[in-house]
Amino acid sequence: MSHPLVQELKSDSLQSLSQAKVGCDFQIRRLEGPGCDQLRNLGFCESLQVRKLANGRNLICSVCGTRVALSSDLADQVKVEAASS
Amino acid sequence: METSNELIALAGNPNAGKTTLFNALTGSAAKVGNYAGVTVSVKHGEMRNSHGKALDLIDLPGTYSLSGGSPDQQIARGVLLGENDKIAKPDLVVCVLDASNLERHLQIALEVIELEIPVVVALNMIDQAEKTGLRLDPVKLSEELGVPVVPIQADKGKGIIELKQALGHPFPPTPEASWEKGDEASRRAFGLQVAELAARRPEAHTSTLSDKLDRVLLHPVLGWVCFIGIMFALFWSIFSFASIPMGWIESLQDWASGTVENTMAEGDLRDLLTQGIIGGVGSVIIFLPQIILLFFFIGLMESSGYMARAAFLMDGFMAKVGLSGKAFLPLLSSYACAIPGVMAARTIDSPKERLVTIFVAPWMSCSARLPVYLLLVPMLLGGSEGGAKQALIFLSIYVLGTLTAFVVARILRGKLGPDDIQSHFLLELPPYRLPQWKYILRHVLDRAWAFLRNAGTVILGIMILLWAATTYPKLDSDDPGEVLSHSIVGRVSVAIEPIVKPMGFDGRTGTAILTSFAAREVFVGSMAQLFHVNEADDDAETRNSIREILAAQTWPDGRKMFSPAAVISLLIFYIYALQCLPTTAVVARETGSWKWGIGQFIFMTVFAGLASLLVYQVAKLFGLS
Repeated sequence: MSHPLVQELKSDSLQSLSQAKVGCDFQIRRLEGPGCDQLRNLGFCESLQVRKLANGRNLICSVCGTRVALSSDLADQVKVEAASS
Repeated sequence: METSNELIALAGNPNAGKTTLFNALTGSAAKVGNYAGVTVSVKHGEMRNSHGKALDLIDLPGTYSLSGGSPDQQIARGVLLGENDKIAKPDLVVCVLDASNLERHLQIALEVIELEIPVVVALNMIDQAEKTGLRLDPVKLSEELGVPVVPIQADKGKGIIELKQALGHPFPPTPEASWEKGDEASRRAFGLQVAELAARRPEAHTSTLSDKLDRVLLHPVLGWVCFIGIMFALFWSIFSFASIPMGWIESLQDWASGTVENTMAEGDLRDLLTQGIIGGVGSVIIFLPQIILLFFFIGLMESSGYMARAAFLMDGFMAKVGLSGKAFLPLLSSYACAIPGVMAARTIDSPKERLVTIFVAPWMSCSARLPVYLLLVPMLLGGSEGGAKQALIFLSIYVLGTLTAFVVARILRGKLGPDDIQSHFLLELPPYRLPQWKYILRHVLDRAWAFLRNAGTVILGIMILLWAATTYPKLDSDDPGEVLSHSIVGRVSVAIEPIVKPMGFDGRTGTAILTSFAAREVFVGSMAQLFHVNEADDDAETRNSIREILAAQTWPDGRKMFSPAAVISLLIFYIYALQCLPTTAVVARETGSWKWGIGQFIFMTVFAGLASLLVYQVAKLFGLS
């Protein structure tokens, strides 16, 4: 089990999907907020890979090969980290 | 549903192809699209399994999970849990999953397996999944889930026989969940693990044709150019291209009328046939090409996958009036007919946004108003049809209705306050697909037939009644004006003239408006009948179009009756009035209360009357009367 400090540092290194860079692949690490169920239903699950395709008022992402448009409010609730290539 | 047959339900995520499979299994032609939420109610059909045994089949609206969601998703949940009063709990569920996206689609299958009903999984759109480089293992999937798994391509009819064999008889045994039942986290983890085993994704992200198309169609600038171009093509085809087939119908009508006149002896029956039936119903049927084109375009947008993109583009704009991009489809459909528009609002998650969308939907000028606009607009332009000016006036009519709807939506949304549970914009953008021509054409033909049936029943009935009301009680006089004023309609006209005169109309126009409360398009036929009588003694005039007859009408003081002020006032009335009883009934059903249906009817009718009065009085001040 990793040290609590390591955990904390790890969670600090996470960014929200709305902040993430367009055109890159990310690993979904955590969902937090009231829209979690809505997000999970459309395939945003922890450990899955997501590619951000476009920024804007509504973002466009690709999860498991499906394109999904989601509001930036929802994207704020998806915490991601850069996917290891 | 009372039946002795066993019941099979099709369940799955929205846009997984359930209705396409339903059509393939039952041989019916229910409406399909490439857009989440095309099916908003349960469809029933009958199919036969591989032994020839009859089975009842129901197609449920798509749902992501068995908890919560928009009203259409709750319907699916109610049926699957056996909580629906009208539909029995299914004996077997076919879970239709999109093979390209097992990670997500498997979740609903796992939830259904937990219900302890026999389950068969249909892995749909297998061809598209394999095209993207996905390697699927249905055998492995079947082993892990403990249920039969059949790869299918519902749109091509592939795998249907295998699916029927998999249903078997008796049905496959009830599966057992190999995860912790009722625990969402455990179920999700199991789903992801199975998806990883049964579907291997290519490592690199390959750019598909849909990706390339989206780069243009969802581009902040180019996307809007394309959107406006598509909308322009839609409305141009309705108002310009449609005039060609409309001319054919007109010729056919002239021929029918001429034949009856030449072959029948003069009398009441000939008048009823030529004026009441051919003239009245014909003046409505002529708009069939426009209605066909409108439904065809909407079908094309839904089937190709563009509708979701349009909703995405419109979201920012709709947010300004308190709605979301999801309200775009119901509102666009309402340009064709408010009834499917109101029903399509079921896909909106937020109950208050849904209510507001339903409330303003009838202000999107529906196709039934087209006959009225097409009759009146050229009267503002000296009788000539076509041209840029007419297009501009048409555009203004649509813009006026839409803008007023948005203003009212904004006010109403503010009054209703925020939702108890905040909903966010989240929409799947399905891959572009070639339109399913067969189903689009079937759907368009269904709508055209519904329009013709309406013309042949309601409108025909009203035309016959109106003809009788303008003819009886009979007066032994040669002056058609006297005959009309002696008739029932003549007396009604006198009674309502004081009410409609401040809006710029005489009693006959007022009567035509009254008749059109049953269906708007009746107005044209009613005007044709009501104003025809005065001109009957002049053969040359009688052959002219109804528009010329109207233009020649004068008030007793010699002023033109259909002055620009009166025509504009009439147009305004038709833009705003809710003259469609079926819409009121559907609104009452969808909102679950007659209060909304009747409230909307009264509000829109009073609004239309006041707007019409105001416009006429102001136009009069500017000397337009």
